Amino acid sequence: TQAISLQAPPTQRLASTFVLAAPIAGKSKEAEIKRINKELANIRSKFKGDKALDGYSKKKYVCKLLFIFLLGHDIDFGHMEAVNLLSSNKYTEKQIGYLFISVLVNSNSELIRLINNAIKNDLASRNPTFMCLALHCIANVGSREMAEAFASEIPRILVAGDTMDSVKQSAALCLLRLYKTSPDLVPMGEWTSRVVHLLNDQHMGVVTAAVSLITCLCKKNPDDFKTCVSLAVSRLSRIVSSASTDLQDYTYYFVPAPWLSVKLLRLLQCYPPPEDAAVKGRLVECLETVLNKAQEPPKSKKVQHSNAKNAILFEAISLIIHYDSEPNLLVRACNQLGQFLQHRETNLRYLALESMCTLASSEFSHEAVKTHIETVINALKVRGVGPLRGQERKGLDVRAGGGAWMSGYSLEREVVAILAEKYAVDYSWYVDTILNLIRIAGDYVSEEVWYRVIQIVINRDDVQGYAAKTVFEALQAPACHENMVKVGGYILGEFGNLIAGDPRSSPLVQFNLLHSKFHLCSVATRALLLSTYIKFINLFPETKATIQEVLRSDSQIRNADVELQQRAVEYLKLSSIASTDVLATVLEEMPPFPERESSILAKLKKKKGPGAGSELDDGKKEPGAEINGGMEPSASTSTPSPSADLLGLRAAPPASLAAPTSAGNLLVDVFSDSPAAAPGLAPGTDENFLRFVCKNNGVLFENQLLQIGVKSEFRQNLGRMYLFYGNKTSVQFQSFTPTRLPQLNIQTKAVDPLVEGGAQVQQVLNIECLSDFTLAPLINIKFRYGGTLQNITLKLPITLNKFFQATEMQSQDFFQRWKQLSLPQQESQKIFKANHPMDPEVTKAKLLGFGSALLDKVDPNPDNFVGAGIIQTKSLQVGCLLRLEPNAQAQMYRLTLRTSKEAVSRHLCELLSEQF
Amino acid sequence: SFTGLANQTFCTVLLYKNSPSLKTRESEDIQQQIIRETFHLVSKRDENVCNFLEGGLLIGGSDNKLIYRHYATLYFVFCVDSSESELGILDLIQVFVETLDKCFENVCELDLIFHVDKVHNILAEMVMGGMVLETNMNEIVTQIDAQNKLEKSETFIFQSPRQDR
Repeated sequence: TQAISLQAPPTQRLASTFVLAAPIAGKSKEAEIKRINKELANIRSKFKGDKALDGYSKKKYVCKLLFIFLLGHDIDFGHMEAVNLLSSNKYTEKQIGYLFISVLVNSNSELIRLINNAIKNDLASRNPTFMCLALHCIANVGSREMAEAFASEIPRILVAGDTMDSVKQSAALCLLRLYKTSPDLVPMGEWTSRVVHLLNDQHMGVVTAAVSLITCLCKKNPDDFKTCVSLAVSRLSRIVSSASTDLQDYTYYFVPAPWLSVKLLRLLQCYPPPEDAAVKGRLVECLETVLNKAQEPPKSKKVQHSNAKNAILFEAISLIIHYDSEPNLLVRACNQLGQFLQHRETNLRYLALESMCTLASSEFSHEAVKTHIETVINALKVRGVGPLRGQERKGLDVRAGGGAWMSGYSLEREVVAILAEKYAVDYSWYVDTILNLIRIAGDYVSEEVWYRVIQIVINRDDVQGYAAKTVFEALQAPACHENMVKVGGYILGEFGNLIAGDPRSSPLVQFNLLHSKFHLCSVATRALLLSTYIKFINLFPETKATIQEVLRSDSQIRNADVELQQRAVEYLKLSSIASTDVLATVLEEMPPFPERESSILAKLKKKKGPGAGSELDDGKKEPGAEINGGMEPSASTSTPSPSADLLGLRAAPPASLAAPTSAGNLLVDVFSDSPAAAPGLAPGTDENFLRFVCKNNGVLFENQLLQIGVKSEFRQNLGRMYLFYGNKTSVQFQSFTPTRLPQLNIQTKAVDPLVEGGAQVQQVLNIECLSDFTLAPLINIKFRYGGTLQNITLKLPITLNKFFQATEMQSQDFFQRWKQLSLPQQESQKIFKANHPMDPEVTKAKLLGFGSALLDKVDPNPDNFVGAGIIQTKSLQVGCLLRLEPNAQAQMYRLTLRTSKEAVSRHLCELLSEQF
Repeated sequence: SFTGLANQTFCTVLLYKNSPSLKTRESEDIQQQIIRETFHLVSKRDENVCNFLEGGLLIGGSDNKLIYRHYATLYFVFCVDSSESELGILDLIQVFVETLDKCFENVCELDLIFHVDKVHNILAEMVMGGMVLETNMNEIVTQIDAQNKLEKSETFIFQSPRQDR
């Protein structure tokens, strides 16, 4: 479909090219480096040599250096020679000089003064080619120093009558660049009105550049540029109504001046609708023409044609949404977006969703938008099973692996959620929509979405029964998403009584249903479910015995997770000692949430709608937001709040808390699961802990009083650890009690409570790994030294990799397994900087210490490390493959882990990546 | 904002930085990291997904986007801020490639590798400081031709015995 295919390389060119054939000819990296070092040495000697180089050679070598740099190698000389080239009067030399400077010179370099001087000369030269080179250089470097030197000069060049078009174009963008970096240094003044008149310029390129400049400038100084609106409208109208041949070179695949049209439409989005009726009429006409053209048959089948046409169309729609005052146009825009949502081009769908998002905040579009929500949801459904599945995953992968990269697909969920809420007439429909969303795409539903659905249900008693019934039904599915369990747990805990009359959803049935999901859920969800259970005890006394039994079971009350354990213990106690009245008060139905802006919407606003970034727009919305109760106060600063615990057991909230001003009710902090809730760790614990990931013996802790040594051995899923507590003082420690913070899988005996001065006591821990885990067990040591109680909490150096059993395998087997583990969630990858010198031997030792086998001759690149092993736990075995790719030059590593279990991949990757 | 080209083995062939922010703020290491990550992301994407990637921290936050196009063995990646239209940039990439094709006569990967400077010149006619400068292909080609003429004349002068210093 592409107009051009880049063809295979013509080999004859190889002979004539000037530098480095090695990398391209497929030789190894070493050969390339060798070749480059030789070349660098040669250039250095030429520059240092006694013989003054002529301009041509200087240019040649500077160009080579540039090329070497672009190949990814460091260049630390040649800057001076490049600066010299700037003052050459030959175009080619000057040009290479500027190129080098733009790419390689840092803005705070000492050479800046010399460079600025050369630029000044070129700007004054009246030679348009030289002036353009200089302007480009300023724009590309764009530093504050540059702005200081040239910010007042460039406006003059821009509006001078005798400046050539190409120079004007460059000057406009150059000024824009300087304004973006240092707005304070660009003085507004008489030139601004003349810049506005560039919109009438004959040369379309000049107009395009000027529009970009004005669009940026007018955001801060709307009044200075007000007159641009009518000029922009008339320019736009001329383009839109012109035949496709009128603009000749600026017609792109039968579309007249698409870039300029887009820019003009963007500019208009900086201002409110024109007040002048004639101007406004003309603009509406333009927008109608654009919408009409979208319905016309395409003039070309090429994708470029439709791309250009749609680029204009999307901008026109943005402008319509921005004005939000022409119901007719809004409906048409909305229908158009609806069409795009079903389009097979992903790009169009993406952009349409983005526009829908902004549309969600418009006032006049209710009915029109509502008809398309189904389309959006359908699009989602199709995507859930169809070939586009991969695309979502890509989007997410990208976010998880690549460091905060986003793709449009989280956005998509938010759009649905917002649209659904905004256009919900009856809330049962809303609940349906959102639960549907969670069912189809649970992984991609952000926290905000399900918090919000709970808020809505709690605040509206007419949907509570319906919601309870719906979630109950949704939970029947054998595999349902964890987010669904969360919503279900919460809603049944609050409103389960509304459906308990039906024997098919009797309290015990509800409980059993929820509890059947319990073991598959994460800690946060389990904590939430425990709270649901205690609420059940209040709601349905008949479930008390069953639930108490569950709470009492070892897997709860001795759970390895502190939070879960604490909840289980507290709830158990509460249910057995508190009277029914107390229980009822403590477990009062959640008070309504203060009516406030949808957190999803708030988040979106923060992201800012495309194109709607003008302050005018913001100003318009703020008062409204306040009436609605304002934005959330930041969660952590809220009242001493019943927040930390779902039910507020520790600070039992009286029912009167229902006062809608209480900020403590934010669901956000209600659910804060707090792994950090562990008692304060001794300082330095974490670094020290990390040292033990790849080794088994050493000093775990030391202060002036106490030293703790560790010796440990692990085999399969079992381990034994010896802890040596050494009293460094000459005084006896009394009541010496090391207590492992309860972890199910570790057995140990108590130690003698007295530790004599200078003595050492030993404690043996027998460890069994039941299943994979991420949090290291803690140990707490208390003792009296002199009169004072010492209290130290440490992480025991037991990490998942200790249960690693190395596995040797052949290259072929390795790759076969590697391929088998190709699901995105099975892989975890990290790219990170080396924290230690990159010594292959040390790396090897660490990898072996980590527990995996090191496989030779598997990776084609001998510098890379490849390992394999099996994590042995009682309940399951997890096969692990790992690959570590050092990049000595960049001082970086890339670590990839593939295991059959997502959490294991992630955790091992985190652990190991801290080691290098 | 920057423009990058990568071939299919995903090692970057070229990277052009047209944005000061990339240079002043970030060390070359980070640039290398940006390159790696960008191409890692882009090359992993299927043919049938959209050509836009919202920005991450590395490229300056959510105001920036990656927009790419895939031609035979090469990826062309532009990183632009929100003031540019996504589809517009896709078209701009097309114009860039068509212009390369005109200037090199059936452009191929090696042309781009061995004539870094020329490619840069062409790009510089189109994009400046990360902003779109010129979109008219004929105009761009005319400028490039003029430069080539200048270059030729200078080379000629240089080769004549009189011109030497």
